[in-house]
Amino acid sequence: MSDEMILNLKKAVLFQGLPGSLLEALAEKVIKAHLEPGQALFHKGDAGDALYVIDNGRVRIVSENANGEQLVLNECGPGEVIGDMSLIDQEPRSASVIAITAVELLQLKRDDFLEVLKVQPSLALDIMRRFSARLRFNTTYIEKAIDWSKQIAKGDYSFVDQIKAVSEEAVLSNEDKASQLLSAFFQLVQGVKGREDDLKQQLQKLTLEIDEARRKQEFEELTSTDFYANLKAQAAKIRQQRQDNQ
Amino acid sequence: MGKIVSIHSFRGGTGKSNTTANLASQVALHGKRVAIVDTDIQSPGIHVLFGLDEKKMGKTLNDFLHRKCEIKDVAFSVGEFATDSEGRAKLAGVNLWLVPSSIRGREISDVLRNGYDVNLLNEGLQTLLKVLDLDYLFIDTHPGLNEETLLSIAISDVLILILRPDQQDFQGTAVTVDIARSLDVPNLVLMVNKALMRYDFEDIRKQVSEKFNAPVAGVLPLNEDLADMGSVDIFSLRYPDHPWSKALRGVAEAILAIE
Repeated sequence: MSDEMILNLKKAVLFQGLPGSLLEALAEKVIKAHLEPGQALFHKGDAGDALYVIDNGRVRIVSENANGEQLVLNECGPGEVIGDMSLIDQEPRSASVIAITAVELLQLKRDDFLEVLKVQPSLALDIMRRFSARLRFNTTYIEKAIDWSKQIAKGDYSFVDQIKAVSEEAVLSNEDKASQLLSAFFQLVQGVKGREDDLKQQLQKLTLEIDEARRKQEFEELTSTDFYANLKAQAAKIRQQRQDNQ
Repeated sequence: MGKIVSIHSFRGGTGKSNTTANLASQVALHGKRVAIVDTDIQSPGIHVLFGLDEKKMGKTLNDFLHRKCEIKDVAFSVGEFATDSEGRAKLAGVNLWLVPSSIRGREISDVLRNGYDVNLLNEGLQTLLKVLDLDYLFIDTHPGLNEETLLSIAISDVLILILRPDQQDFQGTAVTVDIARSLDVPNLVLMVNKALMRYDFEDIRKQVSEKFNAPVAGVLPLNEDLADMGSVDIFSLRYPDHPWSKALRGVAEAILAIE
């Protein structure tokens, strides 16, 4: 079995970090498959009984909307893995996969995978460790996301600068959904903060100034009339009268 | 002796008539004897808020200014005759009067052409304070600084200046503040109306108060619901829990607190 195939298998999240000997044992079971353009690898609702690594060519992941129209969810190319979790959970396929070009695939069937597990019990423990680590990682970020959400609700964005480095790093390893969530979350916060800053800016633009020269000039124009001089005297008199009446 | 409270704004469209009607109603609900005089003879409007039309109105301030009747004959008892809407129903039995301006085109143009005797207006106001034994006489003024308005400011015990948070209102209000100080108005209170919700209200209050060196009794939000209601009722009575109504009650309390 080629080293290339082992390298490809390692791309499956399920197998990341497995020792070489176990990967070799798995690679023994891998068989090659071929699709013609337009041919379906599997359909939505089929039993999930194998994982696939694309060796060559491109496929389209499609679903159907309520009107029966085809919706393209994604496209995958060489090195990408389809359906690794189905080796464990056997859930029905959530979408169909159709070849765009001629496609060469590596297939690892669930039954073969289980056979390797029997003779190599340490594989099960390794995979459990992987899952456990991922779960911890995800939980940590979910907790952080909850914490940040509370801070956003209070209008406190001080954490943004702290997570910037983390999230930029996370975008690089886009295999992991938690990292992607973190990245999407960070973009969301930046968007919200940006809009809020814009609005604050508008408020600052609204800082109101008084033209003091004009103020003085208008005041002088209004108060330089005989009417005004009279009014001032009269107003004082009226106030006095009203006080006397009290 | 009652207090004369003039409600004024340098420019139109600040919500002056609505504010006057609501403030007077709130003060009257505190058990005070209150009258409103609509001296905005050029463009009267406050009568609509109290459900008055030409038929219901009877004699007006214009008749008094033409010496056709006495001022007390013009005062319309809101608490007796205008409780025919959801908000105004709360004014039943309350001591609140309205002295409306004529809405007849000919009578308005007559005043515009010939003006009126500002001294007579002043005498009328002083008489009204006495005969109705008022605690507060609210004057809804015409925007700007014409002679009639200057008189209302001059004889006020309290002057409430309404402004929107915009440049033109700021400039015009500055001149009005100077005039009020020059005329020795004892109490000058500012009220900001129609502030957009996205503004920092506390910041606006601070800015305005510092710029004019006068207390700001309230910063009231732009009230789309008030526009929506049309001018058919007293908003703060109909929707007492609305943010605008709450802030307005704060202004009413500021007026009541003045010694």
